[in-house]
Amino acid sequence: MLLRYVTKRLLIGLVQLVVLTVAVFFLIRLLPADPISRFVGLNPSEEAYAQAERSLGLDRPVHVQLLHYLGLAPSQGTGLLQGDLGDSWVSGSPIAQEIGTFLPVTLELITISFFVAFLIAVPVGMLSATRPGGAADRGVFVYSLFAGSQPEFWWGLLFVYLFFFVLGVAPAPLGLLSPMTSEPAVITGFITIDSLLAGRLDVFLEALHHLMLPVATLVFILSGPIIKMVRQNMVRALQSDFVLYARCAGLPARRIAFYALRAAMAPSMTLIGILYGFMLGGAVLVESVFSLGGLGQYAIRSILAFDYPAIQGVVLVITAISLSVYLLLDILHAMIDPRVAY
Amino acid sequence: MTVASEPMDKPRRRIDVLFLIGVSIVSLTVFLALFGPVLAPYDPTVATGSYAVPPPPLADWPRLFWGSITGSLDQPPHWFGTDASGLDVFSRVIAAPRIDLTIALAANGLSLVFGVLLGLAAGYYKHWWTEVMMRASDVLQSFPVFISAMILVALAGRSMTNIVIALALLYTPIYIRLTRSEVLSQKVRGYVEAARAIGNSEAVIAFRHVLPNSLAPALIQASVTIGFAILLTAGLSFVGAGVRPPAPEWGLMISTGANQVILGEWWPSVFPGIAISVTVFGFAVLGNALERRYDGA
Repeated sequence: MLLRYVTKRLLIGLVQLVVLTVAVFFLIRLLPADPISRFVGLNPSEEAYAQAERSLGLDRPVHVQLLHYLGLAPSQGTGLLQGDLGDSWVSGSPIAQEIGTFLPVTLELITISFFVAFLIAVPVGMLSATRPGGAADRGVFVYSLFAGSQPEFWWGLLFVYLFFFVLGVAPAPLGLLSPMTSEPAVITGFITIDSLLAGRLDVFLEALHHLMLPVATLVFILSGPIIKMVRQNMVRALQSDFVLYARCAGLPARRIAFYALRAAMAPSMTLIGILYGFMLGGAVLVESVFSLGGLGQYAIRSILAFDYPAIQGVVLVITAISLSVYLLLDILHAMIDPRVAY
Repeated sequence: MTVASEPMDKPRRRIDVLFLIGVSIVSLTVFLALFGPVLAPYDPTVATGSYAVPPPPLADWPRLFWGSITGSLDQPPHWFGTDASGLDVFSRVIAAPRIDLTIALAANGLSLVFGVLLGLAAGYYKHWWTEVMMRASDVLQSFPVFISAMILVALAGRSMTNIVIALALLYTPIYIRLTRSEVLSQKVRGYVEAARAIGNSEAVIAFRHVLPNSLAPALIQASVTIGFAILLTAGLSFVGAGVRPPAPEWGLMISTGANQVILGEWWPSVFPGIAISVTVFGFAVLGNALERRYDGA
């Protein structure tokens, strides 16, 4: 049963990815940008322009370009089907490799932020759910509404001003490590994990120190929707029949709260997944405030340089990861609650 | 259900503090969008002679305020200071809603109209092309929003019109989905049956009866989405894919002041940020109050 559900979901996800890839491919070519003149500079000679067009492969008919990109035209070289995202027009290096160095930074940033935000949001959400409509609940409600509607890049800057310039307890917003520090060998690409694997505790602590403000910024923004969601699901769970039954049976309040929390978590997971997928691209602004060198900054660079293959690669990777996260959480959900996988 | 006795009672009107806060903030923003550029003491796009002047200390504000009313000052005070290129921050902050709010309203207006009409069609008629449309909006919704907005605006050209079109395109699926599900639940109601029984054509039923009854969710969503559109517009300028300098736009102001924040010049970035923070919160609060009122009714 579960296997059939997973296969079905995987197939749907795959179709979605293909459609999205083709859509993005045509969309960026429909827009009136001229990447060729970007690369040859102002007032190029006609030969130089034609030469650049040829070297970018833009002189070929669009359907040939698409087939090449997808990897369905063996005469043109490898493509997506062979696991090749193409080469960047700006740097010339393979895009898969470039994304490989930028992606871990973003994943590290948002995973830590989600973890911390969750640790804060669950008790707060539970607290406000125990007495709906009370003073604490209303306070938490206004907070979550506020935090969920804030310009995160501005809060990041504000934190930099307060904690770096005024108080001097945070490092300058210039990346994950200070330029003097030698980086540990790249194993996973995640600086916190790599430094521990290399036994470099100093680098690990430094990375955490540099991650402090960006994580605080994201936790602030994320805590709004997560608290709201935990509260809502918790209120619903506390009103359900099994909690009433547990009360009648005279179970201690703490155990009832635990049961209700478990019931409230299942629907929360789906929303967390959606939020995580959203943050893959949504962390762009925080990354750029703190110059962390994440996937979002790679996206900005590629987009502003009209680097078509890199843009396609970034969108593809972000969507693929969000779809996998949704799928993973849905499978978890289906394993906890088999009614989901009908 | 005690339906029979209810209509006799007077509806209870509680004063909803959050609703009032939301309405005040939104009204102020609309007021500034209309009159901000006129009220600004300096031209928001022309440099004054003084660069990176900090805002006057709070103790001086009453004197400066009195002075600017009586006109005894040589020049209007720089309430929020000036930025590194000499632009008056206060003038730019109050002139910005004309750009930010206009983009947000236009984008949401467009996507609301298209989304509601397409959602009505998709909910009311089950047809192959409505199915195709729903799948297309699925694909559109699986795009990463901020990255897609950046791509659309940067490749189409950084102008207000292109930002509006990009946001409208990305927001339309939200309204399609909301309206469609409301239409699905409305079209099986008794009043539709009654309208059909007295011989109305399907088009009349769809537009005159089902449509007005299915608008509420989309309208409530609009209040929230307008706020998010302001955030997105500001974010786009912040990364260099939004309106071009020196247009008075909040995100652009934060961006131009960002490099000086590390050096302690906080005012060019902090004041526009407060403006965004308060404005978007206002729209979120208003949307939430409307939602509660609608659900409670």
